[in-house]
Amino acid sequence: MLFEDVELGDELPAEHPDISMERVVEFTKAAHMNFPRFTDHEFARKEGLPGALVPGIMSQALLATMIHRWAPGCRILSLDTVFRGHVVVGTTPTISGAVTDVDDDERVVEVDLTLTAEDGRTGVMGTAKVAFSA
Amino acid sequence: MSDTEGTEPASTEVQEAKAKYVGFVFDTATFTAEQDKMLAWAESVGETDPRFTDPSNPDFQAHPTFTASLVSRRVLPEDFPKIGGPRGIDGGKAVVIQQPIRPGDRLKASATIADIYEKTGRSGTMTFIVQRMSFVNQNDEPVSMVDWKMIRNP
Amino acid sequence: MILDLHTHSVRSDDGRAKVDNYCQWIRKKELPLDGMVLTEHRQWDDTSDYRDLEDRYGLVILKASEVETDYGHVLVFGVNEDLVNSFDFARIDNPLPEVLAAAERCGAFAAPCHPGRRNVGLFAHYERKGVVDAVHTVEVLNGGSIPGEDELSVEKAAEHGYRGFGGSDSHIVSRIGFCATEFDDTVTDIDGLVAALYGGRFRAVSLREPV
Repeated sequence: MLFEDVELGDELPAEHPDISMERVVEFTKAAHMNFPRFTDHEFARKEGLPGALVPGIMSQALLATMIHRWAPGCRILSLDTVFRGHVVVGTTPTISGAVTDVDDDERVVEVDLTLTAEDGRTGVMGTAKVAFSA
Repeated sequence: MSDTEGTEPASTEVQEAKAKYVGFVFDTATFTAEQDKMLAWAESVGETDPRFTDPSNPDFQAHPTFTASLVSRRVLPEDFPKIGGPRGIDGGKAVVIQQPIRPGDRLKASATIADIYEKTGRSGTMTFIVQRMSFVNQNDEPVSMVDWKMIRNP
Repeated sequence: MILDLHTHSVRSDDGRAKVDNYCQWIRKKELPLDGMVLTEHRQWDDTSDYRDLEDRYGLVILKASEVETDYGHVLVFGVNEDLVNSFDFARIDNPLPEVLAAAERCGAFAAPCHPGRRNVGLFAHYERKGVVDAVHTVEVLNGGSIPGEDELSVEKAAEHGYRGFGGSDSHIVSRIGFCATEFDDTVTDIDGLVAALYGGRFRAVSLREPV
């Protein structure tokens, strides 16, 4: 995706990221978050959760990855996410985005981002500013 | 992380906490950006951009929100009051990326409370405590700022 | 005409949408909206002036407030100085009967929003604290509702004989217009909106794309 081709209203190609237990364990190790509520379904259920949860910052990083695939070489300037609902490990969420602002002078676009859990509820909502090189 | 973050607090204890703690550095920490952690982070989230997955790439760097996982020893100031209730929820993270983080970078972080406010939602009365971590590298260049919204409720 | 009666901009603590971008989005996506009402959380925004945007995009852009009460959240249309001085918009526990009475006394229109929502919806409080007689209208369709909430709002509103309107409760640009309100009369300013709401010639509409 080139900056010249970006238009307000464009939708980023939706993805179904891999949030298998294997991936989540790998992430929690990299992020120093090796807590059982993220990696142990049984432990999480005993805490009253629907199952082990994908860490909010992992969902945030999945959204960043989607942006990189949409616009290779772009630079994410900011990524602001609100963690709104549970995203259970091993389910199939959908991540999506849409361009909501285009700054021709700065070559920066803003995108709305959503991670929708398998049950249709919003798991994460956010916005990002993305810079394109000249 | 809008410039209008927060509203006038409602309760006296929140007002007092806001006046006492917002804006003051209450902890500092140092971190080294380890290549294997940077790589594992990017691979675990399915990243395909070689800037984040190939250490031999000349522009190899940490994934944009890598600093979101780096926390100071103290999450809140030492004498911070128990406002809002015992339950804690992670309300969200906002990351500003100022410079790429390279393998071996020595990051210095300072922790402040950026805002405290109350609102009501599906979870009942919620007290928002926004902890801000500001990171600079070994050259004292700002590299990242992370606002963490901690929600407390009864 | 169709107005989204419940939207938030960057002036709300959790809002991330710029009003200009809402306007561009409405036009680019050809949404059937004639305008929006900005209902910022726990405040009255007396400084923003959206008249230039109204002219540029041919949209009605009005300002209101979303306040918090002991019976959940309430939208207040037609906020004026008298009303701002009647109760503390920043509080999260304003007594609902006082907010409704103040709004009526000051020529404004107040109605609970997302009444089917846990903790911050009117009907959750009815079960525990009883009915508030002064309520006459509620937001029955809310774009931020999770499954079951709007269904409960519609059912309970019918049970109590309340009128219903709709709003997206959007906090980011791409969620504007999920729900809105269709008026039989033309509304061009806040006084006209208050009159139209008191007149009752409106209905909630859902504009969500089919899933």
